[in-house]
Amino acid sequence: MKPTARAVDVRRYRIVRNVVLAWLTAMILAAFLLDIPKINILEHTARNLYFHVPMWFTMMAAVFVSAAHSIQVLRGGSLLSDIRALQAARVGTAFGLMGLVTGIWWSKFTWYVGTDVWWNFDPRQTMAALQLLIYGAYFVLRSAVDEPVRRARVAAVYNIFAAVTVPFLLYVLPRQLQSLHPGADGNPAFSEITAPVMRLVFYPAVIGFIGLFWVLYTQRVRLAAAKLRVTQDPEL
Amino acid sequence: MTLLPQDTLQQAVDSLRTPAGTTAYDSIWPGAAGIPTQAPSALERVMLADDKIFVVLVVVLLIWIGISIFLLRTDRKLDALERAVAERIPEDDDAL
Repeated sequence: MKPTARAVDVRRYRIVRNVVLAWLTAMILAAFLLDIPKINILEHTARNLYFHVPMWFTMMAAVFVSAAHSIQVLRGGSLLSDIRALQAARVGTAFGLMGLVTGIWWSKFTWYVGTDVWWNFDPRQTMAALQLLIYGAYFVLRSAVDEPVRRARVAAVYNIFAAVTVPFLLYVLPRQLQSLHPGADGNPAFSEITAPVMRLVFYPAVIGFIGLFWVLYTQRVRLAAAKLRVTQDPEL
Repeated sequence: MTLLPQDTLQQAVDSLRTPAGTTAYDSIWPGAAGIPTQAPSALERVMLADDKIFVVLVVVLLIWIGISIFLLRTDRKLDALERAVAERIPEDDDAL
């Protein structure tokens, strides 16, 4: 059985953490300092592309990591796999919440400018909110089972189904419906319209935020592994 | 309430008026002539440029640096906790 102390390679963790912190600092500087084309309605808010969109890319990466560890649980893995699945889902959901909130804020001053509307059940936003509720049910399900090994298995089955809904709710369905969000019917997606200078910041931002996910996720795995060792229960 | 003389009232109303095309919140506010008591400092010249976006940049950087310090401090506590756990609980007790 694997010793808890080696659940995480602490030296690698520190190196990645320091690189991520420096990388994202440079990204923030570039996000504000580089000149971008001025577009009506969007104006300076186009810079939100560097922050809002990577939240969803990061959540997708987190869902993938979480589901992979849930599969490990069902293939006879240790409680460590369950810890990793749970913490990836936790941090991923936090990024998803930040994506939803920043999206509501951005839409208020672009789509809904000059109105009192904050939320209009735009399909893209509604599906994203539904996605977060599906993950909310994952955490509720976990809290309903007391025995750690049984909880790991039940939660793993649900988590794999939850992960399967993600591509449909975030990519497939919103593109079939009329939405104000880019990438919907009659509304060009990122690839066709984004200026080259913005790609220069956007792709590093995606990498940086996924790196930040890895740091926060690994930090929580270390904490949960220590808790498991002390209390025989990894729930965090 | 004391009633002001008509000409004093008129002066007060005039002082609130700004020329056409400006509002009281514009950076260039004729109504506030004389308020900047000195030429803009080097810091002001940088921060007020480009619709004051650099003010936002500094706010975001301060928040980001704050979060980073918080993350590093949490890591140090985690290192200490892991050392304490390793010392007090032997490896073969491990549930993993």
